[in-house]
Amino acid sequence: MSHAIRADKFLLDADRTTWHDETLWFVREKRDRAVYAVPEFQELRELASGIKNHTLSRLDLYLQEFEAAAKANGVHVHWAADAAEHNAIILDITRKAGATRIVKSKSMLTEECHLNPFLIQHGIEVVDTDLGERIIQFRDEPPSHIVLPAIHLKKEDVGDTFHTHLGTDKGENDPQRLTEAARQHLRAKFLAGEVAISGVNFAIAETGAVVVCTNEGNADLGVNLARVHIAAMGIEKIIPRLSDLGVFTRLLARSATGQPVTTYTSHFAKPAPGKEMHIVIVDNGRTQQLGRPDFRASLKCIRCGACMNTCPVYRRSGGHSYDFTVPGPIGAILSPNIDMKKHSSLPFASTLCGSCTDVCPVKIDIHTQLYKWRQVLGEANEIPASKKWGMKFMGRVLASTRVYGLGGQFARKALRLLPHGLTHAPSMNAWAVARELPEAPKQSFREWYAKQPAPAAPSKTSA
Amino acid sequence: MKVALFVPCYIDQFYPQVGIATLQLLEKLGVQAHFPAQQTCCGQPLANSGCESDALPIYKHFVETFSDYDYVVAPSGSCVYHVRKHFDKLDQTADVQHVRGAAYDLIDFISTVLKVDALPGAFPHKVGLHLSCHGQRGLHQANESEMTPVRDGQLSRLLRSLDGIELTQLNRNDECCGFGGTFCVSEAGISARMGQDRVADHVRNGTQVLTGSDMSCLMHLEGIVRRAKLPIKVMHAAEILNGVLVNA
Amino acid sequence: MSLTSRERILAAAKANKPEELPLPTVPDFGGEATVERFTTVLTGIGGTVVRMGGLQELGETLQQLFPEARNVASPLFRGTVPVNRETPTGILAEIDLAVLPGEIGVAENGCVWLPEANMLHRALPTITQHLALVLDQRQIVATMHQAYAQLPHTGGYGKFVAGPSKTADIEQSLVIGAHGARSLVVVLY
Repeated sequence: MSHAIRADKFLLDADRTTWHDETLWFVREKRDRAVYAVPEFQELRELASGIKNHTLSRLDLYLQEFEAAAKANGVHVHWAADAAEHNAIILDITRKAGATRIVKSKSMLTEECHLNPFLIQHGIEVVDTDLGERIIQFRDEPPSHIVLPAIHLKKEDVGDTFHTHLGTDKGENDPQRLTEAARQHLRAKFLAGEVAISGVNFAIAETGAVVVCTNEGNADLGVNLARVHIAAMGIEKIIPRLSDLGVFTRLLARSATGQPVTTYTSHFAKPAPGKEMHIVIVDNGRTQQLGRPDFRASLKCIRCGACMNTCPVYRRSGGHSYDFTVPGPIGAILSPNIDMKKHSSLPFASTLCGSCTDVCPVKIDIHTQLYKWRQVLGEANEIPASKKWGMKFMGRVLASTRVYGLGGQFARKALRLLPHGLTHAPSMNAWAVARELPEAPKQSFREWYAKQPAPAAPSKTSA
Repeated sequence: MKVALFVPCYIDQFYPQVGIATLQLLEKLGVQAHFPAQQTCCGQPLANSGCESDALPIYKHFVETFSDYDYVVAPSGSCVYHVRKHFDKLDQTADVQHVRGAAYDLIDFISTVLKVDALPGAFPHKVGLHLSCHGQRGLHQANESEMTPVRDGQLSRLLRSLDGIELTQLNRNDECCGFGGTFCVSEAGISARMGQDRVADHVRNGTQVLTGSDMSCLMHLEGIVRRAKLPIKVMHAAEILNGVLVNA
Repeated sequence: MSLTSRERILAAAKANKPEELPLPTVPDFGGEATVERFTTVLTGIGGTVVRMGGLQELGETLQQLFPEARNVASPLFRGTVPVNRETPTGILAEIDLAVLPGEIGVAENGCVWLPEANMLHRALPTITQHLALVLDQRQIVATMHQAYAQLPHTGGYGKFVAGPSKTADIEQSLVIGAHGARSLVVVLY
C-alpha cells in the first residue's frame, strides 16, 4: 500500500487533519522562536554537521574507543548485528538477572527492532514509561512521531484509553488530570521495575558514557530504581568528546520542541554500586547506509523530529501514513535502506520543498536524498510501471522540438473540445479532483512568437 | 549581453501570456531576449519521478539550445533550480557548466543581473505573494522562515516599490503550496489539501491578487481558486510588473 | 556469537566509512552569564528562582517555600529523612522535598549541573515530589559550551536539570509534573 493511499485515509477526517497540521505547525513556530534567539544557531548547525561527518569517517575507531572506555567504567558492552540479535541480547540479560518486569524509556531503536512484542512473547512485562509511548502502548499502536509519539490522538482519545486501562472517569479529558493518573500508575511500575531499558541520545567515545535526554524524567527514574540498566544504541549515536555535547545539547531541544534544553540531560557512565549497566550497540542496516555515499548523511540524524514538524506532507498525512518506525522526511530516506520494495513510495511523499533540510540541526540534505532515492527506485523498477512508461514516453517527446510542438497542439485542442465532465473526471484525472485545469489557449507561446515581426537583431547576436 | 528566453513547456502551452509578459518586461528593462524555437523542457518532471536517466536527452537538448547565450531567463524558478542543481548528471563540459551558471529565474535576473530593486508604476491592490520553494529555499531569492524572522526577498522588494500596493501578511509566510510536479497527481489528496490551505491563508488575510515568480505553483493554486470560485485573481509577477511599466 | 557481530560491525564500518574528515574546533561563543538571564529563562520553562543572602539563610528560605514539606532529604543540613545510596525504594518514594547542591548554572537554558556526589541517592532528584537546587550564583556560565568546559568528567552519573518534570504528550498541552519532581526551585546565594 502506498503512502498516498494511507494519506487519503487520514485526510478523510478533514477537521482532525486541520488540527494535526496546526498543532505541529505550532511546534515548528516554537522552534523558530528558539532558533532566532540564538545568534550563532546556523554556526552550531555547521559544527554539529562537521562533528558528525568526522565521527562517521572514523566510526570503527570511535566505537572501539567508546567500548574500551565503557568497559573500564564497569559497563557490559554487547554488539548486535540486527534486530533479532538486539532482542535476544536483551532477553538474555533480563533472564540472567532473574527479572520479569521491565520499565522502558523512549527508544526508537527498540521500536525499530520490535522489542516489546518479542519480550512479551517470552513472558516479560514491558512498560513504556514515556507518557506518549504509554498511551499508544495501551492502544496497541505504533508511535506516529519520534518525539511526540501520540500526536495523532486527541485528548478525548486519551481519555477513553485511560478510562479503559486506568479506570479514570468516563469523559475525563483534561490533560492535567490524565497526566496525573498516568503518574500514579507509572510510579508503581517504576518502583517495581527490575530492569530499566533506555535509549541513547549521545554516546561519548572519550568517556564511555551515554547521554539520555528527557522532559519527563522517566529514564532517570526507571534506571535509578532498577537493578539493571540496559541502554540500546545505534552505532551512529557516537560523538567524540564530552565538549561536543555543548553543540548538540544547544541544538536538540530547540529543534525538537523549541525548548532551550530538555528538562533532564543525564549522563550515565558507571552502574551504581551493586547494580549492572549494559550497553547494546546495534547495526541493523546502519553500516550498509554508511556505505552509500549519497545517503550516509542520514546517519547524522539526532532524532529531534524537526523535519516532521515542518513537513507540510507529514502534517497532513500523519505519522502512520509512512508505515515505518521513523516517519516523515528523515524516515523516507532511512526506510528504503531497510526495505526498498516495501517503502518505495516514501521518497515520493514529498514536494521536495526543502524545509526539512533547512530545519535539520545537523544539516542532513534530506530533500536531496529524497530526490536521489527516487532515482535509485526508478532504476530498480520500484516505481509504478505506468509512471515509468509514461516518463519514458515523455522523455522522447520532450527531447524533440517537433514532437513536443505537435503534442502540445493536440492536447490543448483536446482540452478545448472535450466536455468539462470528461477532462475533469476524477477517475481519469487526479488533478481535477480538487482543481480546475488551466484554460487551454488557442495558441501556445511559441506559436505567438513565430508570428511576431523579427526583432532588430533576430539571431543570437542581439546586444 | 545575449539573453535567451526559456519558456517552460507548461507555460508555453497553457500560459502564453506569461511568456509574452516576460519578453515584454525584459524589453522594457532594456533587454532584447530571444526565444530559441527548438527549446522544449528542462526535464524536471521525469527526474523528480525517479526517471533521471530518461531525462538525460532532454538535458542535452537544453544545453545545446542555450549554450550560445550569456543568460537563460525563465519565469519559473523551479526549472532554473533544476538546471542549476540537477544537471550535475551530465558530463560537466564547458557548455554544460556555462548553461547551468547562465540559467536565471526572471526575478533573480532582474534583481541580481540588472540590479533593479524598484520600479515606477502603480498597482493599487492587495497582493498576496506566493514564494516558490525552489526559488526561495533553492535559489535563495527570499529569506527563509527556517533561518530568520526577517522577511525579505527579491520579488517582495520589487512589488513593494509599486505605488498603492499592499502586500498580504500571511500566517505562514513560506509554506509549500503542494504542487511538487508529479506529486500533484501521485499524491493528489495531500497536494490538494496543501493548496487549499495555502489559498485559505490568502483568503483569510485579504489577498485580491495572488502572485509569484513560479508559474507552476500558481497553476496549481489557480486551479484551486477557480474550483472554489474564489474572488482572487492569479497572475504571474511578470504580468503585474509588465502591466505597470510603460514602454521605456 | 556477539564477538562475531562485533567484528562484523567494526569491519563493515571500517570498509564503508568515507575518507577521514577533520573534527571542527568549537569556538567559545561568549554570551550572557548573568543571574537575570538565568532567572528569566528558568522561569520561562516552569522553574522558580529564589535569591538569598548566604547559605545561613537556607533553612528560613526553605521554610517559607515549603512549609508543608514533611519528609525532607538533604546533604546540606540534617533533613527529616536520612538518605544514602542504600536507602530502600519505599522510603525514597515518600520524600516530599530534596534539597541538593548544584554545581553549575547555565544562563542560556536555565539548567543546573547536578553530579552524583550531591544526590545522596541517584533516584532522589527525580523521585522526590519537589526539588530545590542550591547554587552559588558565581557558578553561572553563559552557555553549554562553558558548562562542559568546566566539567573535567561527568562521574559515574550526573545530569543537567532544567525545571520541573513535564510533558506535552496529550495534545501538546503542557503539564508540569510528569514523573519526576513536580516543582523545581533554584536557590541562588
